[in-house]
Amino acid sequence: MKRAAPLDTAFGRAAIQLTLVILLLAGWEGGVRAGWIQAFLVGSPVGIWGELVRDVSNGSLFYDTGITLYESIVGFVVGTFAGSLIGLGLWYSRFVARTVEPMIVAFNSVPKIAFAPIIILWFGTGLTSKIALAISLTAIVALIAAYQAAKEADPDLQSLLVTLGADKDQVFRKVIVPSALPGIIATFRINVGFGLVGAVVGEFISSQHGLGHLVFTASSLYDLNTVWLGLFTLMAIGFGLYFIIDLVERKSLPWKLDSVRQDLRV
Amino acid sequence: MALPAALPTLLPPPKLALRGIAKRFGATPVLDGLDFEIAEGDFVSIIGPSGCGKTTIFNIIAGLLEPDAGTLLYEGAPVDGLRGRVGYMMQKDLLLPWRTVLGNVVLGLEVRGMAPREARDKAMDYLATYGLAGFENSYPRALSGGMRQRVALIRTLIVDPDILLLDEPFSALDYQTRLYLEGVLMEAVERFHKTVVLVTHDIDEAVALSRKVVVLSHRPTRVKALHDIEIAERSPIGARSDPHFSGYFHALCSELDIQTKRVQP
Repeated sequence: MKRAAPLDTAFGRAAIQLTLVILLLAGWEGGVRAGWIQAFLVGSPVGIWGELVRDVSNGSLFYDTGITLYESIVGFVVGTFAGSLIGLGLWYSRFVARTVEPMIVAFNSVPKIAFAPIIILWFGTGLTSKIALAISLTAIVALIAAYQAAKEADPDLQSLLVTLGADKDQVFRKVIVPSALPGIIATFRINVGFGLVGAVVGEFISSQHGLGHLVFTASSLYDLNTVWLGLFTLMAIGFGLYFIIDLVERKSLPWKLDSVRQDLRV
Repeated sequence: MALPAALPTLLPPPKLALRGIAKRFGATPVLDGLDFEIAEGDFVSIIGPSGCGKTTIFNIIAGLLEPDAGTLLYEGAPVDGLRGRVGYMMQKDLLLPWRTVLGNVVLGLEVRGMAPREARDKAMDYLATYGLAGFENSYPRALSGGMRQRVALIRTLIVDPDILLLDEPFSALDYQTRLYLEGVLMEAVERFHKTVVLVTHDIDEAVALSRKVVVLSHRPTRVKALHDIEIAERSPIGARSDPHFSGYFHALCSELDIQTKRVQP
């Protein structure tokens, strides 16, 4: 058996990750100070830190983060929920499903970001338009995934339910929904990102607040440190949401977990 | 066998009768007018060459497919299929992976609207009887193939179906597990007086378990022969050691055109 590397532990990996980040930031700062890199174009870690301290102490960073989080989470939840429900519902009628399928494909083939200007026109420059944009991005992904997953439910399991005397509603509740659930939950990971994309792009186009607003206005003023602050905050949000989704997945699909984890040595 | 016209009223009608059942898929005729009967409490095996539509027959009996022609008589009355009255078991255990063993066992009771508490108690009884006590909260993926198929058998028996339809239920298991489960099945069939239809490609299993064997022809499928199996010993191992066993085995092999003797040069 191959011996595991001594650093291949949770602690060891975290130490390596931290070292890499510190090296990168130190190199960046050093490069700026030595004059190899232009702070004007890339900013500098110390400058970003200063920006962070300022925006945290005056509270504006929390406010912008809250706005963007609110828009993307509401958009994600509403879009994913509605899309999944419609997608699952299409299982009920092959006729309806086959009729609307090309329309869904057509709608999906437009880059949804291109709808942003009309959505702003329709829903105004406030939070609603960003939420609407996030919904339009997430709903279609959820719809297609849920419909696909419902279609792929094992026909033998459905037959079994029928031989036990189940009606269509029972087949739907006892086989279709649970077997589509892993597919639906897998889209949560993608859609959490799309929710953020919707919120930030909406803010780019027209807004008074939010991290998208922060990044957009700062970059037009060549204030690179503030741009980085916005980007790093978005990264932190995305990272946090991803872990929440991961937790939701593990809690809601206990039957998918390996009781005995097996590592395949390649 | 034609009965005199006056007699049928005196005899109970067969539990299940297939009369001229025909089915085609697209341009391919699969079943070409099937006739056979299954008496109450009978154990009938259906054997035939692969692709002869054994599973199609099952799906018609279970009410999952509609025949193009012919009638299905249940206790003498024509029916569309036996939805909700059959216990169906396949080679795949068809356990719902997101349900625990207990959840899987109560599935049929749940569909019939039994109160959850009552269903649970009944399931726990069955699990204890079949040696699965302590596994009620396990997920199917944690069980061995033999245990999973045992859970499937309990799920089938617990709803007390009129007829058990078994579609090669043990063919994916190793020989030891299979003999064991055949024994469990035979014991349950005898205890609850079940009527069983077993589809198998395994002549050995057909002879060991059943009282009657229906041999099907190549597609388009008809009934080629009916054999009554008269082996006193009903246990899977005992039946296989019965002096008559090998005679039936060879007779059925030759019906299926399987060479059991070395061809002389």
